Amino acid sequence: MALDHPVLTKRIPTPPWGDPRDRKLIDIDMYFDTGGYEGLKKAMGMKPNAVVELVKEAELRGRGGAGFPAGMKWSFLPPVDGDRRYLAVNADESEPGTFKDRLLLDYDPHLLLEGIAICMHACQLDTSYIYIRGEYHQQAKTLKYAVNEAYENKIFGNESLLGQINGRMPQCYVHRGAGAYICGEETGLLESLEGKRGWARIKPPFPAVAGAFGRPTIINNVETLAMVGPILELGVNWFKSMGVPRPDGIPSTVPASYGPKLFGVSGHINRPGIYEEELGIKMSHLIEEFCGGMRDGAKFKSAIVGGISTGVIGPDDYDAQLDFDVGAKYNCLGLGTAGVIVMDEHTDMVAVARNIAQFFSHESCGQCTPCREGTHWMYQLLSRIERGQGYAKDIDLLHEVAGSMGALPSGQGSTICGLADGANWAIRTIVDKFRNEFETRVKKKPQILQSVESVNDG
Amino acid sequence: MAWIVKNSATMQIERREDPYLDDELKKMLETEVIPRFPSRQAATLPVLHAVQHKHSWIPYQALEEAAEFLETSASQLLDTASFYDDFWLNPKGRYLIMMCQSVSCELLGQMDLLESIKAKLQIEPGQTTEDGKFTLMTVGCLGSCDTAPCALVNETLHENLTTENFGQILDGLE
Ligand SMILES: Cc1cc2nc3c(=O)[nH]c(=O)nc-3n(C[C@H](O)[C@H](O)[C@H](O)COP(=O)(O)O)c2cc1C
Ligand code: SF4
Ligand code: FES
Repeated sequence: MALDHPVLTKRIPTPPWGDPRDRKLIDIDMYFDTGGYEGLKKAMGMKPNAVVELVKEAELRGRGGAGFPAGMKWSFLPPVDGDRRYLAVNADESEPGTFKDRLLLDYDPHLLLEGIAICMHACQLDTSYIYIRGEYHQQAKTLKYAVNEAYENKIFGNESLLGQINGRMPQCYVHRGAGAYICGEETGLLESLEGKRGWARIKPPFPAVAGAFGRPTIINNVETLAMVGPILELGVNWFKSMGVPRPDGIPSTVPASYGPKLFGVSGHINRPGIYEEELGIKMSHLIEEFCGGMRDGAKFKSAIVGGISTGVIGPDDYDAQLDFDVGAKYNCLGLGTAGVIVMDEHTDMVAVARNIAQFFSHESCGQCTPCREGTHWMYQLLSRIERGQGYAKDIDLLHEVAGSMGALPSGQGSTICGLADGANWAIRTIVDKFRNEFETRVKKKPQILQSVESVNDG
Repeated sequence: MAWIVKNSATMQIERREDPYLDDELKKMLETEVIPRFPSRQAATLPVLHAVQHKHSWIPYQALEEAAEFLETSASQLLDTASFYDDFWLNPKGRYLIMMCQSVSCELLGQMDLLESIKAKLQIEPGQTTEDGKFTLMTVGCLGSCDTAPCALVNETLHENLTTENFGQILDGLE
């Protein structure tokens, strides 16, 4: 299985089609010369609603982590009322193990801007904010440069070819974040955009109804929007010729896994990087054909499938099929961002769990007690297990604490947002799948006996 | 992140004559940033970034000035500013080293790298060298896991780091 030709990395030299050393920034002239903004042209010849229907029909699913169908999200918008409506582009990319959006921002920013323009037309949104993480200094500069070019070429601004939307000329702004993972969560992002701390909001209302500044707002990931131009240009059938269709008998309301996707692979492999393939590719294929195999010929042990929030798959899942059903098939949270972290046989899974717990305990925004306290306790428990000072009962305690937090049923609906679900799944899947590693690390006797002994010894 | 304890009400704010948010900066923000949003408060992050870009950190007096400019309260602004790791409410070194400590980087040797930098600079993460040159921080994933381990030094990303090449990079800074 391999794509016939790259789409998202069409202009970004990437194996097997090109050499990463040849990468350079595609400016707007080069973008036009290589078929750029053709999708937008097509979209502008269509009624806004027809564009939404087309994206819906393509079943493009969000590439930012949750996999929600983009067309469906777009169709949740209320009818236009003449007042402002917003697009918030999620370029916060802070999920550990994820670096795919950066590739597009670094080299082909107009692919994103074209998607933004199409979305603004389709959904009748007059203002878009590209919320980019603060640490992406270079990327923010590149993006501002590209946005300027787009203004000069009448994509946005007072002379925009899109014309008036909601009685206003369409504007596009780059907005820098300031180092908070929670601002990647869509409602945390909106709070941050409004100038406040990035506290996730309780839903409903959903952003499509009441989002930024209380107005209808669409939030999409960079890669999701980058995919929209090619879909318009090449069509729904082309898009659906790739990926994994619905199995027979599954109702059409359940979204499938169509189209090309960026996979970012890092960890113990020879050639880490971003590779474009169709959804459903086997992880082993990704590792062997694209990444030059495992480093130092070591054996595969485990992988994080799509950023640390998705949790791990085990030694037997080397051939895991990477599509949106990966969660159900291999008992993890889901495909997430498709940022795959590969770990070899020498990896200490207790240390991996500790690393992840530390991240979540630092990044929890603190609103929900199970998340704020739970992530912190998991970090403490894991640190002491790693130091060899944990007790057997700590393993079950860890499992229990992890399972008590999250917005999903697996987290008992105890929190506002999905950050806690990530912490829950990451820690629980590591403990479940590598329990023996935890057991050999803890002290065998229950704590109470240990303390009795130490009293007697004393 | 949200755990920064605010100084008590008795805290003395150091003041200076010259405003941090001077007329030139205000004019730039007024024409280029404020019009982007339907509310002035929404310009908070851009304004704080601008102040920090100019002064390297955000003193309390600057927060008060920014609050006035944004037509919000200083406490609201402190609430926002203190939430974000990238806003410095205390002075930092001339070079801010942000070393990634997330999974991919740790798998590829970040811990040894951190030990070597700590030994070299004689500081722990969160501290600044005595000469005010370096501040060392450990941070979450920097979005460059394919070139792990990596670190940002001010606005420049350094990739595929080893004890040797990172030492040389730091030595080469003025
Ligand atoms: C804690 C947390 C962090 C997130 N971080 C990001 C992020 O950095 N980038 C992103 O695109 N989506 C992120 N998401 C997902 C967003 O909430 C949202 O689902 C997504 O941006 C929607 O875009 P999409 O439908 O195009 O994927 C995060 C979600 C959670 C719960
Ligand atoms: S789940 Fe955690 S990160 Fe999300 S809102 Fe609650 S405390 Fe904040
Ligand atoms: S884990 Fe270090 S850059 Fe992603």
